[in-house]
Amino acid sequence: MAHDALLRVEGLSVDFQTSRGLARAVDDVSFSIKRGETLALAGETGCGKSVTARSILRLVPQPPGIYSAGSIYFQGIEESEPLDVLEASEQQVRALRGDRIAMVFQDPSKALNPALTIGRQLGEVFAEHREASVFESAGLGTRSRGASRYLRHRGGLVRRTAYRFTHPSATKRLTDALDERVLQALAETGVPNPRKVMTSYPHELSGGMKQRVMIAQALACDPDLLIADEPTTALDVTIQARILDLLSELQERKGTAILYITHDLSLVRQIADRLAVMYAGRIAEIGDCRDLLSTPLHPYTQGLMNAIPRAETKRGELAAIPGTVPVLIDAPRQCHFVSRCSWAGEACTTHIPRESHPLPDRQVSCLRFESAAAVGAAPGDMPEQYASAEVTT
Amino acid sequence: MTISDDVQVPGAVASRRSLITLRDVAVHYPVKEGVLQRVTSHVKAVDGVSLTIPRGSTVGLVGESGCGKTTLGKVIAGLESPTSGDLWFDLDPSDAENVDRLRNRDPKSMSGEDRETWQRLQGQHRLGSMSREFQGRYRRNCQVVFQDAFSSLNPRQLVRDIVGRPLRVYNEASGENLNQQVLELLERVGLGPQHLLRYPHQFSGGQRQRISIARALALNPEFIILDEPTSALDVSVQAQILNLLVSLQREFELTYLFITHDLGVVEHMSDEIAVMYLGRLVEQGPTREVFDNPFHPYTEVLRDSNPSLTGDSVADGHRRLTGSVPNPIDPPTGCRLHPRCPVAVSTCGWRVDDVLEQLEVSSPASFEGIEAVERSSEFSAVIRLTDDDASRAMAHEVTDLRGALGNVEVDVRRDGKELRVDLPEVDDITLEVIEPGRMSACVHAQSGNWWNK
Repeated sequence: MAHDALLRVEGLSVDFQTSRGLARAVDDVSFSIKRGETLALAGETGCGKSVTARSILRLVPQPPGIYSAGSIYFQGIEESEPLDVLEASEQQVRALRGDRIAMVFQDPSKALNPALTIGRQLGEVFAEHREASVFESAGLGTRSRGASRYLRHRGGLVRRTAYRFTHPSATKRLTDALDERVLQALAETGVPNPRKVMTSYPHELSGGMKQRVMIAQALACDPDLLIADEPTTALDVTIQARILDLLSELQERKGTAILYITHDLSLVRQIADRLAVMYAGRIAEIGDCRDLLSTPLHPYTQGLMNAIPRAETKRGELAAIPGTVPVLIDAPRQCHFVSRCSWAGEACTTHIPRESHPLPDRQVSCLRFESAAAVGAAPGDMPEQYASAEVTT
Repeated sequence: MTISDDVQVPGAVASRRSLITLRDVAVHYPVKEGVLQRVTSHVKAVDGVSLTIPRGSTVGLVGESGCGKTTLGKVIAGLESPTSGDLWFDLDPSDAENVDRLRNRDPKSMSGEDRETWQRLQGQHRLGSMSREFQGRYRRNCQVVFQDAFSSLNPRQLVRDIVGRPLRVYNEASGENLNQQVLELLERVGLGPQHLLRYPHQFSGGQRQRISIARALALNPEFIILDEPTSALDVSVQAQILNLLVSLQREFELTYLFITHDLGVVEHMSDEIAVMYLGRLVEQGPTREVFDNPFHPYTEVLRDSNPSLTGDSVADGHRRLTGSVPNPIDPPTGCRLHPRCPVAVSTCGWRVDDVLEQLEVSSPASFEGIEAVERSSEFSAVIRLTDDDASRAMAHEVTDLRGALGNVEVDVRRDGKELRVDLPEVDDITLEVIEPGRMSACVHAQSGNWWNK
């Protein structure tokens, strides 16, 4: 099981230093992603889903962030040994970012550099990760420092370079080779008239087009894993539908695994194979996406599903989850959902629920299921207000 | 014209008074350019919208970002004055009839009785010309809840001052009495006395939205404009707010205009729905019927693009819109959706710009060869190219484009290096009644040739 996992996150905890104490944004989170599958990480604002995603690329700024426990193993195709991202050197992580693991951010207008044309920004990826092959297709056998510097200059990584004045013909060939790559990457994401898009600045493009460019940039190096952090939240529904079509089509063609972060459970069904629901820094439930959505077990997942307005719900009778999300600074050792849970009992305020497996391919972190498993009862037989005595710490 | 025309139950007439009646409302913002800041063009944010909001109902206004739904909301709230068109408040059915009958007539040519009616309507019901007293009544009765409760609450005021402000302005209460009333309002929206002396930043998003609602309720209004009240909230909190809004509506017999881009929410909340695209209404009707059987392809695409918990996956061949939203400075002629529409036909209002845009995408090389385009109207133009060969090639390309332009009859005549392109002229396509209570601005629906049947 573990050997075919592309990514394994084990017991990851991330703290943030705040003026009022340590806030535990991610608390003992474990999951894995297989090659080519889509895992959706769903949850409400502040549940730690984005921090989890950023931790995979070690993008959480330190300080204030602290990786206080756990490890993230990434098993690339070429590497024989899985790499622990949190322990790796800065050089190793840089080699991963954008090459083996790529990321698409929520707001494309903030993620693109407003001062560079699209062509140059996309060129950066190739200059950073595919330098050798760009040189090859430009017909330049030997890589001089000047040429390499020029390539990085094209991508906006380096400010000035004298190379283009000293080697005009090589410059031309390098530029053409790089542009060819960029053009191809853009065309793959269905950008109309890619040659024009290449020469335009981000502000000249619409939101949907910008997100396409972001996806082109992310998939430029054929990564093993694409982390999509709410890529469609800033877009309209009609554009969102087209971006989702594009993602699933590209995934089919390239076999990229996707970690899809979203707050919208209704989206998940269309794109994900598996779904993990997070609440207050912990994973509440993981399982096969369609199963989980049709029979949610964790009370939080159930509440979340019922809160979505549907055609058949009577007006004014939406099942809202009462209360609000707890503050995670110096939070007590208990189930974080206890204050909003209709099942909550005594034991819930003193124990952190551990994972139990009430269904095949389903993992739930709820004391009710944990204690049911401990006494061997079917979860449906458990009394609603179950104050577990059997559960030991 | 109104949606409720078919519901003519005698006893129900009084309750079906229209609270807000919009007639051909347009809001155009000037675009200024150059050193002298001369007005060069106008952004047509709202461009001829007629809508009736019956008393006691919830009308959902749906559309994507930039379609003008918030601007329309501002016009109704009186925060923005329309460039043209008018807004009538609290008309009974006979007055509504009079408005429609008289509004396009010159008052000088009216009969004495008509003129009297018109003057009364102007003075008492029309926003902009109504007397001070009626204006005050309108302002009290029409309240707004904005999308972003972060920026719509003053960060330097206490909750008591925020919620009590309308009461103070209208001299309804002061001192201890004010505190008491504010407390009652807060309790009604699910907050308590402990929240009275706090600042907005001490609340969560959902609570802040509750404060906004309490403020809107302070003067006991009849009508509340809800401008994306739950877009910034999580689903579990959204459900709380929606439930609260519904229970308030039942308790105080409120009328809502629910502006949103979320179709799930609007389907849940509203009795009637108006779909907006690029400054125009494209479809209008009872929510259930519109969702089950849309009369406009845009509505259908919107419905099918909306992800659902139970529906099928994305890749099951639903229609999609192509391209992106056109510039509202120069919106498409005819039906505004036609350049993006999946089922466009020749009568949708194709113009020269559509031909050029298609050319740019399908053959960028020859598009680059265009030297000048002289438009004599939206539908005919002379394209000048660099040489004869280029114009010959382009003549072929334009004829080949017909498939992408809904098989419209393009008349191409070549004269040396000039190319004259003529398209059939089409009037603007506006909302028409298709069935009682159902309106659509689609040529398919209006001609009875359905795209989906």
